[in-house]
Amino acid sequence: MFALLLTAGCSADSGGSGAANDPGRGGDEWFTERAQETGLDFVHFNGASGRFYYPEILPPGVGLFDYDNDGDLDVYLVQGRRLGADQSSDTPGAGALKGRFYRNDLRVNADGTRHLHFTDITGKSGIDATQYGLGVTAADVDNDGWVDLLLTNFGTNQLFHNNSDGTFTDVSKPRGIEDDSGRFAVSAAFLDYDRDGWLDLYVANNANYTLQNETVCPNMAGARDYCPPQIYGGQPDRLYRNQAGRFVDVSTKALAGGKFGPALGVATADYNGDGWIDIYVANDGEANLLWINQRDGTFREAALLAGAALTEEGKAEASMGVDAGDFDNDGDEDLVMTELTGQGSNLYANDGSGIFRDVSAASGLGQLSVPYTGWGTAWFDFDNDGWLDILSVNGTIVAASGRGAEAFPYDQRKVLFRNRRDGRFEDVTGQAGAVFELSESGRGAAFGDIDNDGDVDVLVGNDGGRVRLLINNSGNRSHWLGIRLVGPTGRDMLGARVEVIRGGSPTIWRRARSDGSYGSANDPRVLVGLGTVTDTPTVRVHWPDGRAEAWSGVAIDRWMTMREGSGR
Amino acid sequence: MKRLAAIIGALVLLAGGCSSREDREPPLKPVSLPDLSKMTASAQKQIREAHGSLTKTIEKHEAAPAKVAEAYGTLGRIFMAADQTDAAEPCLLNAQTLAPSDIRWPYYLGHLNRDRGQLPAAAAFFERALELRPDDLASLVWLGDIYLALGRPDDAEPRFAKALALQPNSLSARFGLGRTALAKQDYSAAVTHLEGVLAQDPEAAGAHYPLAMAYRGVGKLDKADAHLRQREDHVILPADPLMVELEELLESPQAYESRGIRALDRKDWTEAATLFRKGLAIAPDNAALHHRLGTALYLMGDGAGARNEFEAAVQASPDYHLAQYSLGVLLQADGRHAEAIDRFTAAVRSRPGDTAARVRLAASLRRIGRAKDALSHYEQVAAMNPDLTEARFGHAIALVQIGRHREARDRLTEGMKADPHSSLFAHGLARLLATARDDRIRDGQRAMTLVQDLLKQGRTLDLGATMAMALAELGQFAQAATVQRDLIAAAEKAGLRDMVARLTRNLGLYERGEPCRTPWTADEVP
Repeated sequence: MFALLLTAGCSADSGGSGAANDPGRGGDEWFTERAQETGLDFVHFNGASGRFYYPEILPPGVGLFDYDNDGDLDVYLVQGRRLGADQSSDTPGAGALKGRFYRNDLRVNADGTRHLHFTDITGKSGIDATQYGLGVTAADVDNDGWVDLLLTNFGTNQLFHNNSDGTFTDVSKPRGIEDDSGRFAVSAAFLDYDRDGWLDLYVANNANYTLQNETVCPNMAGARDYCPPQIYGGQPDRLYRNQAGRFVDVSTKALAGGKFGPALGVATADYNGDGWIDIYVANDGEANLLWINQRDGTFREAALLAGAALTEEGKAEASMGVDAGDFDNDGDEDLVMTELTGQGSNLYANDGSGIFRDVSAASGLGQLSVPYTGWGTAWFDFDNDGWLDILSVNGTIVAASGRGAEAFPYDQRKVLFRNRRDGRFEDVTGQAGAVFELSESGRGAAFGDIDNDGDVDVLVGNDGGRVRLLINNSGNRSHWLGIRLVGPTGRDMLGARVEVIRGGSPTIWRRARSDGSYGSANDPRVLVGLGTVTDTPTVRVHWPDGRAEAWSGVAIDRWMTMREGSGR
Repeated sequence: MKRLAAIIGALVLLAGGCSSREDREPPLKPVSLPDLSKMTASAQKQIREAHGSLTKTIEKHEAAPAKVAEAYGTLGRIFMAADQTDAAEPCLLNAQTLAPSDIRWPYYLGHLNRDRGQLPAAAAFFERALELRPDDLASLVWLGDIYLALGRPDDAEPRFAKALALQPNSLSARFGLGRTALAKQDYSAAVTHLEGVLAQDPEAAGAHYPLAMAYRGVGKLDKADAHLRQREDHVILPADPLMVELEELLESPQAYESRGIRALDRKDWTEAATLFRKGLAIAPDNAALHHRLGTALYLMGDGAGARNEFEAAVQASPDYHLAQYSLGVLLQADGRHAEAIDRFTAAVRSRPGDTAARVRLAASLRRIGRAKDALSHYEQVAAMNPDLTEARFGHAIALVQIGRHREARDRLTEGMKADPHSSLFAHGLARLLATARDDRIRDGQRAMTLVQDLLKQGRTLDLGATMAMALAELGQFAQAATVQRDLIAAAEKAGLRDMVARLTRNLGLYERGEPCRTPWTADEVP
């Protein structure tokens, strides 16, 4: 009876069949690319014209969020345009280039099969994003129960308010987001750092760059290529406090003492286990930052002593994408970040108190990833075995050897690394599907269950190339638990932690987040792989305000919503 | 001869797309020129010549395999130096096939694979190099480094240990042992090795970070913190004659610039200047090379030569902000602030985000009495980088100069909090509190407390002068005068005439029982 009552406290939204369905009709492929056939016909334009404008090498981010509250993830795709004096020439297609917005028209049939289709609703949405776009972030910033949209641009950032009727309004200025200081960011993150129930905003700014200070950076043989951000210097990041829907820049007081670098990624989580959300920033070529929440509205930068700023050798590497997750199932947030070819991704293992150890080499991740220049990445359990794996999308920033004459020779393959459950990873890219054989200039990657079938799919943005939608065909062959965590106003509770307690099996910790990766917005819901375990678990949710609630006997293999205040 | 003919035959066959071979030699890889069109003319010429030389050598049927190997190796090394790794690889592999006992080819292949992240292949090539020359220190250290990256510290350790045994003063070998101990979580051993690195070379700043992590591991957080504060991005590498040879091959302005920068890093100013001049011989209008040469000359003590080169850089590229900046620095150092302002203004015009130039511009403006104009520059710097100590301090002093003492006090106080290890703000605040005209700001007692704390860190004439100011503010004029007389004697002994004059003026005040109400005179404003 007790279990029945508690189960009733969370609402079941939809269930995956666990069997093959339309989007997942990939046969033996773990992932199948289905962007175009589902209506995502987007091609990114980076404007590269041989002038090597620095921003051209950075985009695009991609976003997954449910703008219409219909229970499935819609898609936002960042667009570029020509930079410099020749802005109007050579732009592909008719009309102005702008970021594109696609509604997910997922249909689940009675037999559990699915029909996935996206409809371009950019025109109707009112989102007029014609700046040179870099990234996208999404969250309900005014607690009205509808997800709003933040676009980071080479220009000024834009906040679009969701009018709850399918349209958006640019509220950058009235809401205090507009920053005309010349700063620009790729990644940003929403978090409730002060526990006041309103999502604040961290903007990870990049380089001190303008088209006017473009510098020529030739290689040793004199062939020109893109400059590293150090040529221009980093820009200070900004923290905006959300005061009932209006953002106020509190950086000077809240982020005092930070040695900012050219930031590219940001992942917010409670790194030191004190229940308050901290901020980790991936800087390109300079020490990364770990802002520890002081619980008084300010942060203390602590990355160096924490062992999270530099590699074990003491090198500041070119960190780009980043994510926090509990890869070793010990209950704390570990960090993974993508780096340049020759550096390899870094994995910093947390001891639970916010002290990290560089285990990039020991885990094998460093070696496996060292041929690649990684961007978008995430901890995600692609096979639902209860252990977090890693996917990264890749692309160089130096023209491929011998291919200098090509228009944009910066492509590499995507890679998938499986968690071996012993602290090490193995490269399973070769088994992952034909899409992993494509060599493209991968940048943004958003992770989420796009077809609501109980496994994590991946949306990939390619710099100067087609968007890719990697549908996961195999994850839901294992058991899973899908949870949307919402607050009293219906807002996704970013930063909430989920403790999945299973009899006889290790407890699993996961976190609701839309940040991390690179310039992209992830599915804010939590999908927990359970492997072969069929027992109904107890789920304890640790809300961002410090309170915890439990639900017992939670049904598995389906999506459900847990609302703050409805558990025990 | 027969062997070479077979090899050449194989090469021709392979180039033609046919895989059949009738001999037992390993096949040679086809070699072709990549697109060179975007390279500088000098690099293109050099590569074409090396390629032509290889073709000619192959065509000479009597050429010894070693000669052909050398021709392949030369082209491969030039490709490698020109960042054309895909083109370099078959050349170096062919060189290795033709001259299998020559360490150079597996050694370079080891580096080539390491650079592109093929670590197992790199390890295999360095292992091969060590088979050919077991005592090659660079190969041992690089192999150890790769094994660490592969997560194999047990394999790394004997390589570093052997390197250290071969050359007991090898910093890179000792550093490798320290890193290996860290990887094995043997923090005490890591402390021993890494302290050894710093004992041997206190400037090996790259050791501070791993040492800090080792101290953290043994629970000595204060020591960890101390080493973190000393860390720098300084790589500890082995002596590497073969790579130096490779890096010296390419004749392009960028290659000379890069080699010159490395010479600057090792403080070999003369060599740096020579290399920058060689680059300029190829590219006389290269503003960056003129600027680099100017920097080297300045470090050699040739201020006039430096200035000429900075001027040449500006002439070649008027928007080259670094040269404008450097000219400004030279002028500022000579006290020619009006001219320095022009240069810094040009620098920030072409690079509005150049905070260093803007801070210098503001400092020169302050020094010629235009503190109000300086303020806007400090404000722009604060928006770009709020944590620049020099800008924070300059901003506070500018506020003092225009009489906004309350704001100045607040900024100095904020600076103390933000940068607690710097004495700059505490000293500035002490002086302001001791001398401000505004009664609401002045606080002699707090000024004295700050001075007493600062005295624990060290004594300077300036700090002594501030102490005298604080004593006077507290009404202790006799003591203030005594301190001031001691300072005057010390300044006289050091030949600091301007300071003697300033100190003497204030001594007069104290002897008359008057406090000082001028934090800094125009000629001493920091």
